[in-house]
Amino acid sequence: MHPEKPPAPEIRITDPEFRRFRDFFYRRTGIVFSDAQRTYVDRRLTDCIVAAGSKGFPDHFARLLVEPAEMERLISAFTVNETYFYREDYQLHCLTSSLLPQITAAKRPGQTIRLWSIPCSTGEEPYSIAIWLLENWPQVDSWDIEIIGSDIDSRVLQAAEAGIYSERSLMRLPRPLVARYFTVIGDGQYRIDAELRGSVRFSRVNLIDQGETSRWRNIDVVFCRNVLIYFDEVSRRNAANNLYDSMAPGAFICLGHTESMSRISPLFHVCRFDEAIVYQKPGEAGHA
Amino acid sequence: MPLIRRDPPPPAGDALPATGGLKSDDPDTRRRAIRSLGHEPQAVPVLMGALEGESVPAVLEAIFSALEMIPDAASPLASLLRSDDAGLRNDAVEALQAMPDAVRPLLPGLLADRDADVRILSVEVTRCLPAGEMVTLLCGLLEGDNDPNVCAAAVEILAEAGTAEAVPVLRRLAERFKSLPMLPFAARVAIERISGAGN
Amino acid sequence: MPDPSMPPRVLVVDDGSLIRLYYRQTLEAAGFQVLEAINGIEALEKVLSERFDLVIVDINMPKMDGMSFLRALRSQEGHAGALPALVISSESGEQDAAAARTAGANFYLVKPVTPESLALHVAVLTGVPA
Repeated sequence: MHPEKPPAPEIRITDPEFRRFRDFFYRRTGIVFSDAQRTYVDRRLTDCIVAAGSKGFPDHFARLLVEPAEMERLISAFTVNETYFYREDYQLHCLTSSLLPQITAAKRPGQTIRLWSIPCSTGEEPYSIAIWLLENWPQVDSWDIEIIGSDIDSRVLQAAEAGIYSERSLMRLPRPLVARYFTVIGDGQYRIDAELRGSVRFSRVNLIDQGETSRWRNIDVVFCRNVLIYFDEVSRRNAANNLYDSMAPGAFICLGHTESMSRISPLFHVCRFDEAIVYQKPGEAGHA
Repeated sequence: MPLIRRDPPPPAGDALPATGGLKSDDPDTRRRAIRSLGHEPQAVPVLMGALEGESVPAVLEAIFSALEMIPDAASPLASLLRSDDAGLRNDAVEALQAMPDAVRPLLPGLLADRDADVRILSVEVTRCLPAGEMVTLLCGLLEGDNDPNVCAAAVEILAEAGTAEAVPVLRRLAERFKSLPMLPFAARVAIERISGAGN
Repeated sequence: MPDPSMPPRVLVVDDGSLIRLYYRQTLEAAGFQVLEAINGIEALEKVLSERFDLVIVDINMPKMDGMSFLRALRSQEGHAGALPALVISSESGEQDAAAARTAGANFYLVKPVTPESLALHVAVLTGVPA
């Protein structure tokens, strides 16, 4: 509950201010707000203005252009930040339907398939990939599959290693999968089974650091979802460069649902699959 | 279980003699050599030299990513604004936008360049400046530039980040170019957005 | 005028938001459906995801310029690879137009364009009957 606050000053967003903001936000993130979303945008924007102590839209907009922290807060206000199992699962569909067939076509039996979730936060994404493959990929037993989860924050990595999750985090998982891969350990608390905990490698990596990312090589699929959108221009470019260097030729990279390489880097080819737009490092797979 | 957990390999032995790597026939080797050059001022001539005849996007990206981290690169990057190659011109704009302090002294000259195409690209570069500086520079440009496309480029930036001082300048611009397409429209929209008034 | 039940779809690619707005208002008034992209990468994403009848593209854009976009477009198979492309650029040199045509542009106009000229060229390039 919020402590008692004085009432917020009356902040109105005028039509030209909305259009100014909309064009700016689109240029920066690629996210489009239609006129139909006006109320939603005005509300989120007003919340940001009040939270930042800005006097009104013009004042706050000027701050956005020079204060990276405010910009990040603004983008957070308009994006879904929650992590949970099987989030954006259309990309997991794409992984098994479209990406892995291409990747395995260029590999010899006995070669490893390497999948990288970065940032992995508290582990929902890499564990989701593991569960999805076990459940949906007929060839899963024919390959050695390495799943790596990396994050800059050691605390979330510890949580990922511990593998304890709430009901909310599992809300998108079909109940049989919860029963199959998790154990109830307390009130609304589930622990992912030891076999899965032991099959994902967690490591601390700063995505923007060339040295830290350079240890990881020949990655076949990168999941870098819903983080680059918050970085400034130069950091986005650095991250893309580092990820590129970690990837095998012909490898794929998946971004978050609202993200696009058009705001990040020209390094990757655009690939349109039925399920998703995914990006690909140029080069012949299998010629690493 | 097919899911396996392994420790990462030791840091890759990417060490190549940088100069040899730069001239390799293999683009991956060239890119690695560029990425290992670092961001010291002495890398600038090496990086600019590496641009000559380079056409592989991943190598070009490595070169510009490095250049944008080195303030000494501002002047050579500015010379690329004249390039016949659209990719090089636009990569140079982006790199210059990453170094506002280094590009600042070059801007007055660039914004007065004889070549309108150079002025257009230079206007784009001013996006990276604090709003007050940007507005002063672009208002100065709008009072005197006769090329409608240069002025249109300036109006775009003012529509997003301009302040009240720009409004009278935009009004005069609309009047000056009233018989041309696009520009009066753009100036009106920019005034609306800066002042927040109108429907 | 285009058939209002099936308006031709035009993708406008320019990093300038005001120029995109100018093209949008002109073309919507002339009965076309308009979508936008800010650079060549976003344009490719849209072209690969949806069907268009024409792409209008600027040359100077960040991340992927118009020339690179044209080359990437023409390397696509099927409908995307054959998509008519109208370049509208501030560059007025003979060699600029020639280079754009070599890269895959069907037509080249120099900015600024009048609304009438824009609507006429779009109608011609999308095959709208006179």
